[in-house]
Amino acid sequence: MDSETITVTVFRFEPTSDEEPHYQSYKVPFETGMSALNALDYIYQNLDGTVAYHDHAGCGLGICARCTVLINGRRGFLCQEIITGDILLEPVSKKTVIRDLVTRIGPRDTP
Amino acid sequence: MEAKVIETDVLVVGGGGAGFRAAIAARENNIRVLLLSKGPLARCGATPMAGADYTLDGSSLHRLGFRGDPKDNREKFFNDIVTQGYFLNNQKLVDQYVRNAPDRLRELLEWGLKVDCSEERAIDTSGINLMNVLLRRMRKAGAQVLEDTMLLDLLVQDGQVVGALGLDINTGEFIHFNCKAVIMATGGWHKAFWPNTGMRDLSGEGIAMAHRAGAEIGNMEFITFCCNVLLSPPVWRGSIAIYIMDLICGGELTNREGEVFLRKYDPYTVETGTKTEWNKSFVSFASRKEVIEGRGSPLGGVYYGTGKVSWEDFERSAMMMFPNWKYKLMDLSELCKMLRSRGKVEVGPAVEYFDGGIVVNEQFETSVRGLYAAGECILGPFGSNRICSAITEILVQGTDAGRNAAEYAAKAKTPFPDAAAFAPLREVADFPLLGKDGVRPAPLRRHIQEMAHEYLGPIRNQQGLSSFITVLDDAAATKLSSLTVSSPVRSYNKEWIDALELRNTVHLLRAAAKSALCRTESRGVHFREDHPYTDNDHWVRESVVRLVDGNLCVTSRPITVTTMTPPKGLLPFLDMMKMMMESRSDVGGAH
Repeated sequence: MDSETITVTVFRFEPTSDEEPHYQSYKVPFETGMSALNALDYIYQNLDGTVAYHDHAGCGLGICARCTVLINGRRGFLCQEIITGDILLEPVSKKTVIRDLVTRIGPRDTP
Repeated sequence: MEAKVIETDVLVVGGGGAGFRAAIAARENNIRVLLLSKGPLARCGATPMAGADYTLDGSSLHRLGFRGDPKDNREKFFNDIVTQGYFLNNQKLVDQYVRNAPDRLRELLEWGLKVDCSEERAIDTSGINLMNVLLRRMRKAGAQVLEDTMLLDLLVQDGQVVGALGLDINTGEFIHFNCKAVIMATGGWHKAFWPNTGMRDLSGEGIAMAHRAGAEIGNMEFITFCCNVLLSPPVWRGSIAIYIMDLICGGELTNREGEVFLRKYDPYTVETGTKTEWNKSFVSFASRKEVIEGRGSPLGGVYYGTGKVSWEDFERSAMMMFPNWKYKLMDLSELCKMLRSRGKVEVGPAVEYFDGGIVVNEQFETSVRGLYAAGECILGPFGSNRICSAITEILVQGTDAGRNAAEYAAKAKTPFPDAAAFAPLREVADFPLLGKDGVRPAPLRRHIQEMAHEYLGPIRNQQGLSSFITVLDDAAATKLSSLTVSSPVRSYNKEWIDALELRNTVHLLRAAAKSALCRTESRGVHFREDHPYTDNDHWVRESVVRLVDGNLCVTSRPITVTTMTPPKGLLPFLDMMKMMMESRSDVGGAH
């Protein structure tokens, strides 16, 4: 099972230079118990250094919620979503994209 | 591109507990305070993910209405912190910790902190609750905050801080900060290691930029590894859930041969070293030894299982900390199934806390005028081994650093730097965006992180440290200056952030590896296979790293002693550890 690869398709959009968003697919080696974030880390480190996802200050425990994206169309945390096959990753809002999966967060509720 | 210019009196760098508490204290002086949070507000740094315990002497705790041991006192607490630190502590900072811990807890309770439970000399709360309480208070105090903002370098003129260069991570825009005082509260540098137990933002830029600005750093070789960190499955790699589970439920560690390897050690050391927070240093040491001697798991760890504890007892204890097998938002139900069927999980030591850092005096001043520091980023009170709470540390130090910096800023005559003064700092920061066909930051980062885990772990030797230093020196001399990114777009450019952080993590790793090589003894969380004795005749000294013409020079000097005289003589490491455990006062509990 672990020698298989999966296809990870990522929404790509860089508002200052791209006219339209597009989707890009990557082949990622599959490991049992990997998260969507593990898959993106693999892409970033080995395949494409330009892919953007919230990573500069993530907690990895599901408490900061900043890595929320649409995973196969459903909201989820990149860091806690255990994946079992091909996935599609899109930003939570396509209107507030800073870059790829990173979106501008509106004023937040005071915790 | 044009930079934004922001003027303030006190700039607080760091969005964890030390920074928040410093900002609250600085505002008591009614001056302008701006706090930079690298990530999401009150949800970045190490504090929100902490367990979190708060330690103070038991009689003060008892007087606050909690369990607390009334026969405990400040002298006993002081004694225990110094012996836990193998006498390498700065005793003035230990005194500051012990003296201020009760007041800091009292005010937190007034501000609404919830206490989950209490023991002999500690209360338990959650890091998230603590951050929420501090955030409310900081807003009420009127401190300003900027999120997703990283500080890159300090601007120093004539030995005095006059400003700093920042980066808005989302837009890639530079920010010129003009300020009178800066408080570094940037925490640890977990990101220099892989795997690690920290959040993804902790890359030690505060320590590195303070060093570049002329401050001293020291005791960099003392790096605490947490034991029993999950290595598998990948989604949980770095989680301390099993560490907590082992403390509250018990359980058993075995090596690849199925041997309960802790049985090889002195029973008293094992008892203290597994049932109290001594476990970080003792179990990490013992686990790493199994791996080095070829008895480790495939991922470089050991195995954890329920051992002799019945499943009923195990689950009952687990439910106190992991209701419905949830830890924070992690769903541990698969782990539960595995442990119930007598399965074992792979765990091992991973980097957790940094005992050394920026050198400060008991006013939390550095040697650079206007530069203060507090929390995990300083050479703090714990000497060579921390057992007591780092949550207490960030609050007692943050408060004093905030007050002192504000008092300084209110009187300081600080020149207003012109934009040109920032140009050299901007040039350095922009460099990775301009090059072509150079070294990519991400693979270099991972390579160095894995080497750091291997060679700067709980067990070190001359050969490993020397080869790591060669790699690091080469990275510093050639690779860092040829780092290039794949895309020159400034907004949320991960490779650019990586390149900016790598400069700092490589700097700190070099300082730590060189200090570890110089320290030819074993003490606390620093064990040298080739120097397996604690040398109290020559090494009750703190390491200091100075930056001279771009070179890192390691020296040492006597520690700061107030009341407790260090022991003499040469002792085998584990005998010294046992002696320090036995020197503990008669107060119970995990600390």
